[in-house]
Amino acid sequence: MTNRLLFPRLFSKGLARTLAGQALAFAIALALGAIIILMIDESPVAVFMTLMRGAFGDAEKIASTLLQTTPILICGIAACIALRGGMFNVGIEGQLFLGGFAAAWVGFAFALPPVLHVLAAMTLAVVAGALWIAIPAFFRVRFGTNEVVSTILANYIATLLTSYLTIFLFKRPGGWSETPPILTSAYLPELFSFSRLNIGLLIGLALAVGVAAFFRWTSAGYAVTMVGSAPKFAEYGGVSVRRVGFGVLLVSGAVGGLAGGVETLGVHHRFMEGFAPGFGFDGLIAALLANGSPIGTIFTALFFGALRAGSLLLEVDTTASREIITVIQALIILAVSADLMMRRRGDRTGERRWKF
Amino acid sequence: MEILSNLFNVALLVAMIRTTTPILLVALGGSFTTKAGIFNIGLEGQMLIAAFFAVVGSIWTGSSVGGMVIGVAAALVFALIYAVLVVSFRANEVVVGLALNILAGGMTVSLLKAIFGTRGSVVGRGIVGLPKVQIPGARDLLGPSTAQLISGYTPLVYVAFFAVPLLILFYNRTRLGLYIRVVGEKPEAAEALGISIVRIRYAASLLCGLFAGLAGAHMSLGYITMFTENMSSGRGFMAVAILIFSGGDPLKVLAGCLLFGFADAFSLRLQTFGFPSYLVLAVPYAVALVALFALSWRARPKRIRETVETIRRALSVYPSGEAGRDAPLPRY
Repeated sequence: MTNRLLFPRLFSKGLARTLAGQALAFAIALALGAIIILMIDESPVAVFMTLMRGAFGDAEKIASTLLQTTPILICGIAACIALRGGMFNVGIEGQLFLGGFAAAWVGFAFALPPVLHVLAAMTLAVVAGALWIAIPAFFRVRFGTNEVVSTILANYIATLLTSYLTIFLFKRPGGWSETPPILTSAYLPELFSFSRLNIGLLIGLALAVGVAAFFRWTSAGYAVTMVGSAPKFAEYGGVSVRRVGFGVLLVSGAVGGLAGGVETLGVHHRFMEGFAPGFGFDGLIAALLANGSPIGTIFTALFFGALRAGSLLLEVDTTASREIITVIQALIILAVSADLMMRRRGDRTGERRWKF
Repeated sequence: MEILSNLFNVALLVAMIRTTTPILLVALGGSFTTKAGIFNIGLEGQMLIAAFFAVVGSIWTGSSVGGMVIGVAAALVFALIYAVLVVSFRANEVVVGLALNILAGGMTVSLLKAIFGTRGSVVGRGIVGLPKVQIPGARDLLGPSTAQLISGYTPLVYVAFFAVPLLILFYNRTRLGLYIRVVGEKPEAAEALGISIVRIRYAASLLCGLFAGLAGAHMSLGYITMFTENMSSGRGFMAVAILIFSGGDPLKVLAGCLLFGFADAFSLRLQTFGFPSYLVLAVPYAVALVALFALSWRARPKRIRETVETIRRALSVYPSGEAGRDAPLPRY
């Protein structure tokens, strides 16, 4: 079941069927979304047009879409890595917060030469993300502790912990729940003059291509994929399933931390309470929607980024709340997960990975 | 010492019983799906949507019971969607559960804005809270300070605690309870017995929705009569953590929930003593995580033993029992 979800049989007989299934799922999700928009007394067409205008109206809007895409993409890659190894890292949100805080701390507490400063901040962000998932990952591979629940619970702790650090230990004098601004030497270079869009997007794209290449062409990547889809086969082939599982979660957490670093160094230039709401979850959804393919995640992240950017205008131009896009996202995932065109096998018991 | 005696007193126990209730209700709901072999991460969303619709319902109908019914109905709808996708379409449980949680979060905020025109929370506006039940005679018999331990709670508190022994009876003495366990522990055996796995899992999921709905209604109509964005704040996930290490056994669920209720009440207490609220608020989550880690390694071998025992019991009890009259059984 998980395999079916994560690895579509691309370039095989099933391709047309898979695509038709996804298209049907999208149509159903959008129809349901339209019904919900009608329920809250708005016209679906108006909402859709506003979303489009808000996302792609002019160069500035497109840049803002890409700005929203960046953290979703990097979080999506983090989720992809874990999914490929058969793990659900639902704790990307927490890793993002800790990574963001770690990067901000290096940014304002130390004075370093320009490029080195960014590198140091990013390194600490990555380490923070990896450390945050290390304990759940250890218990997952050693004792089989369900990583979905442990990483979700860790999210709440991460959010509260960073808020505590920000407000009680590192508050900007006179500021409101934010750290002092980082030094300009730690800023990520911006791509255009009219937007805060920065090289974080390029980092995300490079990461997507790199991770895709890793899974496509290296034997280690193949080993990870096999651990995820056929652990017994991997074990038989001499792969240490536990070690790979641990490594996969650690790398996934590290990338989650990186996402936080990019967000603080590139966009906010400080750490604020609730600085990146829901990016971790959006990334996970984007990765699920792309069936765990890093290249596919680029497009799904762009789609979600556009929804997010468009939703800002939604709040201004219509009475709908911007959370309506969350509803649409969730509906799409639900529709896609049902895998409508799949031929269901006769046996109804099935083997389930999620049996604890 | 004075601080200690201020921290630990009857008021703390009362607070603990109050904070335990929602998580106990939702965890008992989750025990149905856990026993039926479904990993239900969507409890959080069912609770949240129920909390919202309980508020809406109590305003519409002008009564707390009406609110509760509408809240439970909303949770049942979510549970039904969950069952359709997971049981009938065999979608991935985690994906569907997480998506439903996200859906509940987005929908409640959107509807909050559409119906009440506000963001964040809704207070007042004719929300009717659940009444408090005063047990007659409790005050005279036990004295005012002890009486508040057993009297003066909302009805759902009693429902939650009385549900624990009822659930034990349900799993051990009723056909549906036994079927749920067989389906969860050994689906092949259930099939061999002619039990419809699909139907049992639907039933388990809907029972779960019922309890999650009550938990949600208790959150928004119980001691505070308001709805706040994401007010379930991870209680559904804590319930899942409890379910993982309890395996869905009602008594162990109760023990786990009391632990979290205590952590919750204790952290609220600490806040009034001037500890930094952010760290204190993290205490229940940390307790959940530590408990999950500490108890996780024990679950596995026991599961197999239980499975064997259940099959043995299912095969030996029914042929002679009254309940087994119309149960499809293998012929000997």
